[in-house]
Amino acid sequence: MAARGPNISNVPLTSARRVVLRGPGATELALTVNGQAVTVQVPPRRTLLDTLREALALTGTKKVCDEGTCGACTVLVDGRAIYSCMTLAVTCEGKRVETIEGLAKDGELHPVQRAFIDADAFQCGFCTPGQIMSIVALLRETPAPTEDDVRRAVAGNLCRCGAYPNIVSAGVNAGKRKR
Amino acid sequence: MNAFSYARPRTLADALRLLRNGAAALAGGTDLVGLMKDGLTRPTTLVDLTGIDGLRGWSHPKGRGIRIGALTPLVELETDQSLAKTMPILREALRDAATVQLRTMGTVGGNLLQRNRCWYFRDEGTPCWLKGGTRCFAVDGENRYHAIIGAQECVMVSPSDLVPALIAYDAEIALTSSRGQRSMKLIDLFVAPRGRERREHSLRPGELITEVRVPEAALARRGTYVKAMDRKAWSFALVSIAAAAKIERGVARDVRLVMGGIAPVPWRVIAAEKGLEGSPLDEAACADAADRMLTGATPLRDNGYKVTLARELVRRALRSLVA
Amino acid sequence: MPRVVKSREEFEGEVYESLVLVEGKDLPVPRAGTEFVEIAHSRRRIDGPQRVTGRARYTQDIYLPGMLHVRVLRSPYPRARVRRIDTKKAEALPGVRGVLHRFNAPKASFRGEETIFREEVRFVGDEVAAIAADDEQTAVDALRLIEVDYELLPHVVDLEEAIGDMAPRLETDGNVAEAATHKRGDAKRGLREADFVVDATYRTSTQLHNSLETHGAVATWDGEQLTVYESTQHVFGVRQGLRTALKLPFSKIRVLCDYMGGGFGSKGGVGKYSIIASLFTMQLGRPARCVLTRDEENLAAGNRSATLQQLRVGGKGGRITALEHTSWANVGQGKWVANPTGPTNTLYDIANLSSKSYKVVTNAGSLSAFRAPGYVEGTFALESAIDELADKMGVDPLVLRRKHAASPKDPMVGKRYSDKHLIECYRIGAAEIGWQRRRRSGGIRGSAPHRRRGIGMATQIWGGGGGPPAYATVHVNSDGTVVLTTGTQDIGTGTRTVLAQICADELGVELDDVQVRLGDTDNPYGPISAGSLTVASVGPAVRIAARDAREQLLGAAAGVLETPMAELRLEGGVVVTKGARTPLSEILTKVDNNTVIGKGARHPNDPDLSLRTFGAHFAEVEVDVRTGEITVEHVVAVHDIGRIVNPTTARSQVEGGVLQALGFALSEERFVDRATGRVMNGNLENYKVPTVKDVPAKITVKFVDRPDRRANNLGIKGLGEPPIIPTAAAIANAVANATGARVRHAPLTRARVLEALAIAGAKS
Repeated sequence: MAARGPNISNVPLTSARRVVLRGPGATELALTVNGQAVTVQVPPRRTLLDTLREALALTGTKKVCDEGTCGACTVLVDGRAIYSCMTLAVTCEGKRVETIEGLAKDGELHPVQRAFIDADAFQCGFCTPGQIMSIVALLRETPAPTEDDVRRAVAGNLCRCGAYPNIVSAGVNAGKRKR
Repeated sequence: MNAFSYARPRTLADALRLLRNGAAALAGGTDLVGLMKDGLTRPTTLVDLTGIDGLRGWSHPKGRGIRIGALTPLVELETDQSLAKTMPILREALRDAATVQLRTMGTVGGNLLQRNRCWYFRDEGTPCWLKGGTRCFAVDGENRYHAIIGAQECVMVSPSDLVPALIAYDAEIALTSSRGQRSMKLIDLFVAPRGRERREHSLRPGELITEVRVPEAALARRGTYVKAMDRKAWSFALVSIAAAAKIERGVARDVRLVMGGIAPVPWRVIAAEKGLEGSPLDEAACADAADRMLTGATPLRDNGYKVTLARELVRRALRSLVA
Repeated sequence: MPRVVKSREEFEGEVYESLVLVEGKDLPVPRAGTEFVEIAHSRRRIDGPQRVTGRARYTQDIYLPGMLHVRVLRSPYPRARVRRIDTKKAEALPGVRGVLHRFNAPKASFRGEETIFREEVRFVGDEVAAIAADDEQTAVDALRLIEVDYELLPHVVDLEEAIGDMAPRLETDGNVAEAATHKRGDAKRGLREADFVVDATYRTSTQLHNSLETHGAVATWDGEQLTVYESTQHVFGVRQGLRTALKLPFSKIRVLCDYMGGGFGSKGGVGKYSIIASLFTMQLGRPARCVLTRDEENLAAGNRSATLQQLRVGGKGGRITALEHTSWANVGQGKWVANPTGPTNTLYDIANLSSKSYKVVTNAGSLSAFRAPGYVEGTFALESAIDELADKMGVDPLVLRRKHAASPKDPMVGKRYSDKHLIECYRIGAAEIGWQRRRRSGGIRGSAPHRRRGIGMATQIWGGGGGPPAYATVHVNSDGTVVLTTGTQDIGTGTRTVLAQICADELGVELDDVQVRLGDTDNPYGPISAGSLTVASVGPAVRIAARDAREQLLGAAAGVLETPMAELRLEGGVVVTKGARTPLSEILTKVDNNTVIGKGARHPNDPDLSLRTFGAHFAEVEVDVRTGEITVEHVVAVHDIGRIVNPTTARSQVEGGVLQALGFALSEERFVDRATGRVMNGNLENYKVPTVKDVPAKITVKFVDRPDRRANNLGIKGLGEPPIIPTAAAIANAVANATGARVRHAPLTRARVLEALAIAGAKS
């Protein structure tokens, strides 16, 4: 069987160059958010969620539990769905972050957003940005997901209003649409 | 969360040098960031390991076992088709572990070193024994999720889904510190807190797990992972079991049974495994194995149900090996 | 001319008589067979684009320039006297701008107490002090620097311990107080004469709302005017609370709630956090934001009381002869009780009945209304007991219920129901679930030998008739677009959409041309979004306002077109005459700038009628008898709530109710450490709300969908609460049917199921 990934048997034990120590105060962070390069000042203890909401005024990503147990803060980092409340912003240096605000292009909703409206896949709407981001991540890997695929993708996104059946429909329907 | 400095070294040597007093190693952060938010860990420096080359990914040189880098995200182990064939127990264990977001963030090494979920331990305001206090609050408090066996001063349970699966594959881990390298059986990483040992892992200060190794021989066993939760997804196991065996002419050889959620450490009873050597894994053998696995179980006020569950999961896992 | 009339409204199981101000005449109910353009048609939510793009601004998303961040120090002890507070170190932290606590805070009345920071804190999470700082992290850091000297006092947190003799007395009259009683006939005699008696004790655990948006407020004071953005189900209630606390006139307080992330009953009025934010902004002159964390939410923002309920039910000759129900509810530090005997008193026509409901105070967070408060807990016990009686009598539980469910009269108050189709709900539900497959006992074989299947059902009764006061205005702009304004809120139920449908339909304009403005105390008064009353209260007022506007528009059109008004119709924004169609915009632009304003008020309910909603849920479950795992395979929910305005949002509402009930039934339960009074699972890790994977394979939603012509001018009733009421009992009954094991404590966890199976196994 072919080896996957780097060869892990030869990790160099030699020191490279001086390691930069950042913080504890604010430090400059450069990353890409919704396709735009941004630079923000953040202390290392600031989460990506708080950075998005407060420093970048992207309040579409919601804070619900702030401890990785609800999924409302789901965003994509380098194309994969993660919890931004458990991610320190400083670890996202140079990475590509996508939030709910970046989905609609030229005033046109993303197919997943349209599918959510058509399937009535939300009630209060507070979990919705996270649910949508989870499904967007799924569709990039699985363009025509089954109901089970969608369930697995949003099993980490709680909805207290109980819109789940419609969320699953929206995910499946979004896969059937073309942008 | 307290204020701290942050570094992202590119080499293991730099990382080890930075991991001095008061520093903590950060990989996926899914446990550490939570511990810090709860005020349970207050590192002065976070050393982000994810910039180190060579600790991510896995390899399977022909006939020489599998090596998995400690920084490999769990999701990569879960979704890899060839690994799913080679180590099916791992795939089964990971599918019901946490959520896709957490499996994307979390790493193998971080999963092995995650701290327990006891709600008294996780409550900053409760000065429990494990955190240096005088007593365990769970033992005569709210203990539906706690240990039924193998506990001393602390009745927390081993939370990982990955760990029983890896132990069922006889996994070993490689460790590195500025003093050098060593390796150990994965099961020896876990210690039941007792006496002066108010800790869950035998990792030494300044030491890092660099890889997990699974010997080729272990891959010949078939196996399964069964997990009972109190909802259908996204819960730590109430009880879990990884079972593996070679099935030759209808009887079991070289059996492994490793349980999670019932003891402070991944629970393995050699006598139970030995007792199944050459067994057809019929109902009587399953019952006998369950007896041996749970000898000495002393449930607390609210967790007697775990004994029933554990017995059934032993039976179910073993029966599925011959199904 | 406005006039004062008497009205009789039900709210969350209680009936209130009041004087209300109305104007004009009510409209007649549309004739049977009326073809609506918008009403009764599925429509996408009009606020969908806002909600799916992240543009919808919730209270949590309000960030004002110069805003201070407030965090609250909460008591770590269940009962203690706050003797001394030292905030010197906290105040010295750079960025800290203000501190409030019991020694320096101005008086501010809150729920009958004079201050919001108590001398004696009474539960873990009780407010001790608050910090306002430039940013949230500074406020959090500062909290850790406050030193408090507490004198610990004896406490009790558990319901059954609090009832017992050994518990400390928290109130001078003891911990237990009678809250409600009802009697008819002679229950004792009925039980003596019965051939079969069920005498059983049921328990329900504390359920936490866990609305995804926590409680919170952003307050800003400009020296004259206090503006408060609050995540609330009742902007007018918050205004009332702020007026009481801060002694400001209504004219100086404006409360806003545009979007809110769920309330489920817990956001019914002002919270201490809103008063704290207001005090800070008034003291410091900067906006102040106080939004609770998840943990705080689960300590101090309400819950559904744990209950202990004793039921005695007697049966004879295939009928129920008597019913006795006694309930104790752990209200924490709450001042009221959600009465679990409500359904017992009103659901079935049973001649001999006696019920008593007790309030029990403990050192735990207060209850607050939680979607059908009392009825969810009470229905679990009542409908479990009815099934147990049916089993004992050897009769079909649905047949037994039918005999007592057909009465057209409310058995408690003796008045006629405005409408009732409960028997029809039974018929539809039984057909959908396949009730004839149900075996009397032992269940049906499941998907494996150790899995048993069973079918169960339970009945729902609730109010939901709504009533006055509720007002709306409809502004028609000169381009023909419409702004509908009312003071109620959309808490996620689809209120905006449904009101827009009613408005567009009555006015004769396109739905897309209607904007709905709500959640603002500067709007005409709108009621609390609770008690399943929003649409039935506001909808009829909207219809009148739209009719008023339409008549004015037709008057204007008659003038412009020089055609008699009687020959004009308004359809889809077009004025239609014989042979000509003129867009409304064209007509209105012919006259100088103008606004046509229609006004509407909700008219009173008929005081001689009892307005109720009815329904029945049927559940099919599979139980793994070796692991105690329950899988709900199918839920059929049938509801009789009058006319359905929007079938899509109605269906969503029912599914949501069923799923929230599923959590109550199977997994949701707060745990409090008795020794320390600390809540062990005030989080979403160990407080288990259902995930997408917990959803039953199938949920069938059915409506009787007949207008209740005596309820109001649209024949509509509410749907917020009915779908959460009967599900847990239906599941428990299905589990008992599957296994012969009766679990009398919700949630039906594995531990409880395995214990009940062991008991049932030992008996057989």
